[in-house]
Amino acid sequence: MQEEKRQEFRKALRDVKNLPTLPGVVIKLSKMAEDPETTTEQMGKVISKDHILAAKLLKLVNSAFYGFPQRISSLSSAIILLGFNVIKSLIISASIFELMEDNDVELWEHSLGCAVVCSVLAKRMEISDPEEISTAGLIHDIGKVAIKMELPEEYQNIQNLVEEQQMPMREAEMEILGLNHAEVGGWLAKTWNLPGKLVEPVALHHDPNKAKLEKEATAIVHFADILIRGMGYGHGSDVWVPALRNKAWKLLDLAPADMDEILDEVEEKLWEVKGFSLDVKTEFEGAA
Amino acid sequence: MQHILTGQAAEGMILAREVKDPEGRVLCGAGTELSASLIERLKQKEVSHVAVEGHPVEIEGEKPLKEYLLDIEERFSRVTDTPPLMYLKNKIMERAVAARNE
Repeated sequence: MQEEKRQEFRKALRDVKNLPTLPGVVIKLSKMAEDPETTTEQMGKVISKDHILAAKLLKLVNSAFYGFPQRISSLSSAIILLGFNVIKSLIISASIFELMEDNDVELWEHSLGCAVVCSVLAKRMEISDPEEISTAGLIHDIGKVAIKMELPEEYQNIQNLVEEQQMPMREAEMEILGLNHAEVGGWLAKTWNLPGKLVEPVALHHDPNKAKLEKEATAIVHFADILIRGMGYGHGSDVWVPALRNKAWKLLDLAPADMDEILDEVEEKLWEVKGFSLDVKTEFEGAA
Repeated sequence: MQHILTGQAAEGMILAREVKDPEGRVLCGAGTELSASLIERLKQKEVSHVAVEGHPVEIEGEKPLKEYLLDIEERFSRVTDTPPLMYLKNKIMERAVAARNE
């Protein structure tokens, strides 16, 4: 591939003109969280200024998707009960949810499924704040959305290669663009100033062995992607289960007996989140 | 066992799992036979879905088991050299068979 062309794609994807930016409130809240003087009331106030976001956040908090054991009815109790890191992940999820939901149903289902598997695995491994790993699972393929929106023509060529040559999407992306969706997703996560905890799992979900800071989270997203593909829950024309990396697999340390329990839990949760949408507009109109 | 929407539930079906309301309170246990009044009560309590024994509801667009299993083979066709994934494949297949043949 000509280096010039590749640079051009890189530039287009780095600029991401067509993708919406994350709401300013996320950036504002991140700054507030760094200040030890900030109170939960102050944070609650900032979030509740954006009515739609506040409603979405509460809907997400009370959904089977995260499965918190108790009903949470107000923002301030959500912040107290869940902590700021979790709330931040939820705001990111709520914002990106919409973007993906509208864009590509198959990919959306796959992402939602991957997030469910991430949450099951993270809880089993007793990772603190498993919601952050779910968020990483939810957005792991965000690079595919970026490619589709920024480079529609190339995206079509990639699709054609997948269908005509039975080529996995990653290989087709390398062929056409000289880069792949994981790499693109990583840039995007950085551009959006997402927490570092999300960047590596997104950027390295096919190469978890390269992870340096978030080895566990990256390994979880890597295997969750494989498992949900294996279950056939939401996929495009590229149906094949991707390769399992040995180091990541060892890190997860799963025995055969675990697999049955994991499949049980995942199936149950998938059913619960089926058709889950964060669309609160109709509810608002109904209430007005 | 089959997961179905409460709207698809019919008299005589047997619950395979306990049913909880949206607040997490248990409404009835596994093994309960559904009656018309019980189904009505579940709807009132806004229970969206239940798990029942066997595979009583034909879902439109659902593939026959044989085709479904071939799809699983195809999905795993490029990782046949990875033992943990072959184990996973067999488990997914076993579950698909069990879900239809109960």
